[in-house]
Amino acid sequence: MTSPIRRTALARLLLATALAASVGGFAGPAAAAEDTPIVVARNMDVNSLDPARGFCDTCQIYLTAVYDTLLTLGDDNKTLVPKLATSWEANDDQTAFTFHIAPNATFADGSPVTSEDVAWTLQRLKNIKGDPSFLMDSLASIETPDDKTVVIHTSEPNSEFLGILAASYTGIINKKLAEANGATAGEDAATADQADTWFFANSAGGGAYELDSYRTGDELRLKANPNYWDKKPAISEVIIKQVEDAVTQAQMLQTGDADIAMQIDPDTAATISDPEIVVDTVPSFNFLYIAVSPGAKGNSVPLTKPVREAIADAIDYEGMIDFTVGGKGKLQPVAIPNGFPGTDDLPMPKQDLDKAKSLLAEAGLSDGFTIEAHYPAVNAYGVDISLMMQKVQQDLSRVNISLNLTPTTFAVWREEVGGDGIPMTAVYYAPDYFGSAQYVQYFSMIPGQPWAKRAGVGKVEDLGNGEKEAELLKKAMASSGDAMVGAYHDIALQMIDDKVIIPLVSPDLVLASRKGIEGVRYSACCNLALGQLSRD
Amino acid sequence: MSRQELALALPPGRPARRWRARWMSVPVLCGLAVVAAWLIVGLTVHLWAPYDPVMLAGRRLQPPSAAHWLGTDALGRDVLVRTLYGVRYSLPIAAAVLAVAVAIGCALGAVAGFFGTLVDGIIMRLADITLSFPPMLLAMAIAASLGPGLVNAGLAMVIVWWPIYARLMRAQVLSIRALDHVEAAVAGGAKPGRVLIKHIVPLCWSPILVNATIDVGQVVLLIAGLSFIGLGAKPPTPEWGQMIAEGASSFYHWWIATGPGVAIFSLSLAFSFIGDGIRDLLDPRTMQE
Repeated sequence: MTSPIRRTALARLLLATALAASVGGFAGPAAAAEDTPIVVARNMDVNSLDPARGFCDTCQIYLTAVYDTLLTLGDDNKTLVPKLATSWEANDDQTAFTFHIAPNATFADGSPVTSEDVAWTLQRLKNIKGDPSFLMDSLASIETPDDKTVVIHTSEPNSEFLGILAASYTGIINKKLAEANGATAGEDAATADQADTWFFANSAGGGAYELDSYRTGDELRLKANPNYWDKKPAISEVIIKQVEDAVTQAQMLQTGDADIAMQIDPDTAATISDPEIVVDTVPSFNFLYIAVSPGAKGNSVPLTKPVREAIADAIDYEGMIDFTVGGKGKLQPVAIPNGFPGTDDLPMPKQDLDKAKSLLAEAGLSDGFTIEAHYPAVNAYGVDISLMMQKVQQDLSRVNISLNLTPTTFAVWREEVGGDGIPMTAVYYAPDYFGSAQYVQYFSMIPGQPWAKRAGVGKVEDLGNGEKEAELLKKAMASSGDAMVGAYHDIALQMIDDKVIIPLVSPDLVLASRKGIEGVRYSACCNLALGQLSRD
Repeated sequence: MSRQELALALPPGRPARRWRARWMSVPVLCGLAVVAAWLIVGLTVHLWAPYDPVMLAGRRLQPPSAAHWLGTDALGRDVLVRTLYGVRYSLPIAAAVLAVAVAIGCALGAVAGFFGTLVDGIIMRLADITLSFPPMLLAMAIAASLGPGLVNAGLAMVIVWWPIYARLMRAQVLSIRALDHVEAAVAGGAKPGRVLIKHIVPLCWSPILVNATIDVGQVVLLIAGLSFIGLGAKPPTPEWGQMIAEGASSFYHWWIATGPGVAIFSLSLAFSFIGDGIRDLLDPRTMQE
């Protein structure tokens, strides 16, 4: 038999439990929203998690979350806004840049971010000679007058240096912590630095998140940095799950196994009708192009300027957008993304079969010829390159040019393009920061630049407008404002006239997320800023 | 007792029909009909197909309709026409691969089985090494090293397939070599080569024929597999594996992969049925019944 006292105690206990449950019930959803991890489904292409070595789209997302940069890009994807540096100045000839570091900026371990960390990080990026080291090509020296001031000198005028410092690869590293684990910034860093493995399991930054764990081919797990000096992230954990194809990414969104997917192609996106999924299509700065190399060994006929022009004129650019991304893309006149400095008012590419035929007739090739096309058989930004090249093949067949398509792996493609060259190839490009110089330095015919070498500048006479482009690039790098934009515009016209790099489509980016996920935004420097994500 | 003698010895009428029915069953007849249909399609499709298999035929990614019975793919090409043209690649390559693999395999197997000792050891260890790899993986590795293309994919498959026939042939030769008529031929002073070619090889063909027929379907599958992963046919060839690969990236547009998928299924199954029928036909136990 239960005594009255016991009954009262039991009643109190039940009441207390009910109250606790109800309080917990009220507090529960708020805590759950913060504590429930956000899962990003993507095909990760991570080569390293070391800021000086990593060079991939997923690396951009990770590095932005874990390593704060001196500056970053604003929501308009153009304006530089403060991050670790609260203010900055550049001298008139764009060779000296002074930064003032936020006094309260700290790394994840609580130690302050100092000018020494900044200098060490940038020197290491240059000396390690990794994939993103080209960003520091013009770095000459760094002064640290005090703990919170850095003065960076470049070897030549570089009006884009500030933009470069918004690139995620320039994220500032905790020098003491990294050095204790084998990192070095000396001139011999390329061989002496032994920290690459350590960076796969640890992070040494001061960003909104820290690395929790990384399993190759499986997942990248980030946890919120409890000591973050700036606005704290709304989500305590973010997991990037390895999901190879767009269809599986879409299915994971539908089943609730993923919250965000950014690699769904427009055709697949069009089939998603789930009201719980928000699909936003935004213009991107990514583009796909074909490249014609007159210097390649496998050419059956000389790919002279008129022949290259005929190839460019034979392509149905509007149809290309329709066939590759279901109309969800933009024309791009030059190998510099639309909206970047110097790209306004450029002549848009258009098909002109009559002109193409007459150019080929003048070159004595009215009966046509065969050209070998080797390309990496991958899907980039929703575009199946193999499909894109079949469309090029169809278009060129209308002017009697026969394209022999050979899809290959990326590794084989790299070897071929860097070796004997490929008569015609197709590949893609995405920006590392907001600025046009990176494109001129990669795609122009300036002797020594990557595509100039691949196309055959130096081996083939009168190939492209390299000299003019070099002069104009110098001018653009030494100027700012309208003068700089004007110089890039002139370079763009020269690059169009080269007829070596022929952009085909700038695909729109599909941002797909589950309803209630906020802050999903495409960034030119950083791809996706995880620190801005939140859940309703 | 020869087959004719056996037929004569049997009572007329019913038993002969029963004997025919043993191998000429419904599946076998279906298999023969399917293969015959594909052969006719392969030989004549260019005469009556309403569209070109590699050029635009209509709006892209259209579902099946009266104009395009199996819809259109991402480049606006008619999926049915491409599927029908696909047999022009799959069947000849499968036949060529098997012809070469059977020729090489049987020649080596016969030599190994007849001469034995060192030759047998070398050939059979080589076959064992080849067979120790999963066929698809080995074919992938060889095709990847040779470079993409149907000819290279065919070569890779010959390398994968010959040991199967070498083993079969060797086993046959070993069992037939011990028969009286062979020993009589040897005792009569016949040269080894003549004994092998005249007295042994002609009696070895039954299992080879059955295996080769069933393997046609397997080779068709493997070619499609290699093309699916980009090591076989090059675009825009309307090869079935290549088409399924294109369909896989447009998964929600189910019709792109359905046509070639059904084609591979039908051809593989048909050859499997025919193989079974031939086995029943040549099975001595069936004949004794």
